[in-house]
Amino acid sequence: MMVALRLFISSAVFSSVIATAYWIFSKEPTGTFLLGVMSFGLLFVAGYTIVAEREADLVGDRPEARPVDAAGELVGTYSIRSPLPVWTALAVSCVGLGIVVSPAVAALGVVAMLIAGVLFILQSR
Amino acid sequence: MSPIAEQAVAPPGRSDLLGWLTSTDHKRIGTLYVITSLGFFLVAGALAVVMRTQLARPNSTLVSPHAFNQLFTLHGTAMIFLVVAPFAVGLANFLIPLQIGAPDMAFPRLNATSYWMFLFGGLTVFLGALTSEGAADSGWTAYAPLSEIKISTGLGQDMWIVGVFLVSVATILTAINFITTTFIYRAPGMTMWRIPIFAWEMVATSLLIFMAFPSLAAALLLLFVDRHLGGHAFDPSYGGNAVLWQHLFWFFGHPEVYVLILPYFGVVSEIIPVFSRKPIFGYTGLVIAAFAIAGLSMGVWAHHMFTTGAVDDPFFSFLSFMIAVPTGVKFFNWIGTMWRGSISLATPMLFCVGFLMNFLLGGVTGVMIASPPIDFHAEDSYFIVAHMHYVLGGGSLFAIFAALFFWWPKMFGVKLDERLGKLCFWLLFVGFNVTFFPMHLLGIEGMPRRVFTYPDVGSFPLLNSLATAGSYVMLAGVVAFAWNVVVSTRKRDPVGPDPWEANSLEWWTSSPPPEHNFDDLPPIRSARPVFDAHHPEIAKGGAG
Amino acid sequence: MHGQMWPSPATAQASVLANDWLLFGTAGLAVAVIVWGLILFSVFRWRRKGQTEGPLPPQFDSNNPLEIAWTAIPLLIVLALFVYTYRAEADVERLAPKPDVIVDVNAYQWNWTFAYQGGPTVQGSFADPPQLVLPLGETVRIVLTSSDVDHAFWVPDFLFKRDAIPGHPTSFDLNPSKLGTYLGRCAEFCGFDHALMDFSVRVVSSSDFNRWRSAHHT
Repeated sequence: MMVALRLFISSAVFSSVIATAYWIFSKEPTGTFLLGVMSFGLLFVAGYTIVAEREADLVGDRPEARPVDAAGELVGTYSIRSPLPVWTALAVSCVGLGIVVSPAVAALGVVAMLIAGVLFILQSR
Repeated sequence: MSPIAEQAVAPPGRSDLLGWLTSTDHKRIGTLYVITSLGFFLVAGALAVVMRTQLARPNSTLVSPHAFNQLFTLHGTAMIFLVVAPFAVGLANFLIPLQIGAPDMAFPRLNATSYWMFLFGGLTVFLGALTSEGAADSGWTAYAPLSEIKISTGLGQDMWIVGVFLVSVATILTAINFITTTFIYRAPGMTMWRIPIFAWEMVATSLLIFMAFPSLAAALLLLFVDRHLGGHAFDPSYGGNAVLWQHLFWFFGHPEVYVLILPYFGVVSEIIPVFSRKPIFGYTGLVIAAFAIAGLSMGVWAHHMFTTGAVDDPFFSFLSFMIAVPTGVKFFNWIGTMWRGSISLATPMLFCVGFLMNFLLGGVTGVMIASPPIDFHAEDSYFIVAHMHYVLGGGSLFAIFAALFFWWPKMFGVKLDERLGKLCFWLLFVGFNVTFFPMHLLGIEGMPRRVFTYPDVGSFPLLNSLATAGSYVMLAGVVAFAWNVVVSTRKRDPVGPDPWEANSLEWWTSSPPPEHNFDDLPPIRSARPVFDAHHPEIAKGGAG
Repeated sequence: MHGQMWPSPATAQASVLANDWLLFGTAGLAVAVIVWGLILFSVFRWRRKGQTEGPLPPQFDSNNPLEIAWTAIPLLIVLALFVYTYRAEADVERLAPKPDVIVDVNAYQWNWTFAYQGGPTVQGSFADPPQLVLPLGETVRIVLTSSDVDHAFWVPDFLFKRDAIPGHPTSFDLNPSKLGTYLGRCAEFCGFDHALMDFSVRVVSSSDFNRWRSAHHT
């Protein structure tokens, strides 16, 4: 994970430098704010990577690892069929469209989203 | 795995509708993205041909001003949000797990949700055309106050906001998925410095999406609040700020341009080495250049606002100029890859060469308009239209076709016809340049963009007719491609795992790959594991 | 009124801008021709003849001195271009301390008002677009704003445009340097009749300008 960490940290540093330079040259608040938020976001991701992945030992990071080294490792089980994604997307779209077209459609969408949420929780048990 | 394609992989059947609706398999989702974006491409391209027909002669009355304004709004919105970006997302969905040797994306269900949100968002934008006042007609940039409710009263504008919002949320979710997958799910030995350049470019792209799209989402929400909840963020008559829209929009909009091109830098970086039979030249340089472009592109948004008189022009001009340096590095690396190679001009490579030729001109005019004194004349003229299309049409679109011809066998198990492919290339290449080169001259002569007609003066009629003629040639090229798909699918000529003698892991498994992607993997000791396996005699000294 | 394909600079500022176009156009074309040449040379020089695969070509994949050179040289070119462009822009955007004529320009859907400070005010109609009359050789200050949506004031023969943004007036100077009538138009998309939002600029001698001004004074 060293590469990822280096990437996030250097991005955060770079955008902080740009944000500071922009403020010094332009004194323009909108762009400075946007760049600032961006720097903060990257800093957060970098920090999270340090904390969460400090101990990570990925077989993909070992240059001499052989395919057999990954054997037996549980990479997760996948149900390759799930009706939830298309259902959720439809629900979200109904909410969005309903807001501009008709409140009834939006309400329907909200109900559908709640159902999807419950099913997601049940499925991930 | 023995390199035989006779493995019993059920071809995607027509009756399997439910399977496609509920699949969370990254290959199916990727294929859906690719097909959907090609569908939107046909629609958006047809809109463009109607526009060019209207503009073939001066003072033409084929379409009304109102209809024309909807045409270019939908054309721009579709090409950017629903074609060039999602095609890259689809390609990456299909390829990244295969290229890094993973069984699927990190979050398969999130992945599927993103696709369906993208599809419904895109349809919402187009459904606006069915409302009483028609689709949105304030341009894909939707500049406030033009897009405010006082001026754009129609429901179409609201549906545009909702649709683009859905697409942008879907794109953010996908970006998170790509980054996580590439960082965590690499196969044993597939270190970050061995993943294909395409995967690297998608990491850079995802990082950009992740930083830029929230600004778009915020701008759209503010616009919605202005339109329906009594806000005045962009309405100067109540103390709002019209320049604010431009800041928020372009803070997203310029990185978006790189979201639309970085994946395609990755595409040509994959294809050129295969058809030159050499490793990619300057792997590290290409990766660093990708992140330099991504980083710099976050600090150049207001070069779209030089003519507002409201921004610090030199700051943005300087950073915009700087982007030319890493872009140049990429060009030299591609030339270095071809240098002293053994080059085959098969259709994918032909499209890559076309990409290099066209994109170069787009890059050169890009450096020109990064100079504010030039932009003062070029901005909002046909010169900009020409520049933008050389980047996104001559660049991204040509790479899209290169990718289609290159990875079609992997996706569908059959090769596309080479002769029809070459016909398609030449029609598109000639048509493209005849359409868009004259637009540089039109812009310099004084033709503004987004006009439904123009007066019969100077060389306007001549150059416009030329551009229109070129657009018909491009249309013929697209028809040649569609015909190619029909012919090649009918022929059902199955290919093996590696029809191009390529380098990266997706060419190790069968075409199309099984649901679990790989039955076995070769040892991964360089950025070209499949090449190494086929050329053990030079694998040791090969690219590291 | 509509000039030839290449606009001829009609203000002092436009001459500076035209030089920028010339420099960047030449440099850009030179770079493009060199790189196009390199691409086509590699493709044709090392194109595989026939269908035979033959032995693998040399498998080199990096060359550090070369890579440093093609990073550093473009960097230097770009820095030089930036310095030049920085100066040119400062020249063009410099505001005179005391302009001879000040015109408040207001853009609206889909026409223009030219209000000369100290009179007169020129209003156009849709059928008869307004004309901005300017004196040759004097400094004209344009104060630009809009009363509804974004527009842009563009005179191709001045090689210059500026956005008219509501609530955000901006100023720039023009020093007309050539007699004649020039076409002006709105460049920022502004809705239904954006394409027809034209005006014209007539540059006249100082004495003609004063005569025109007093004749139209109201």
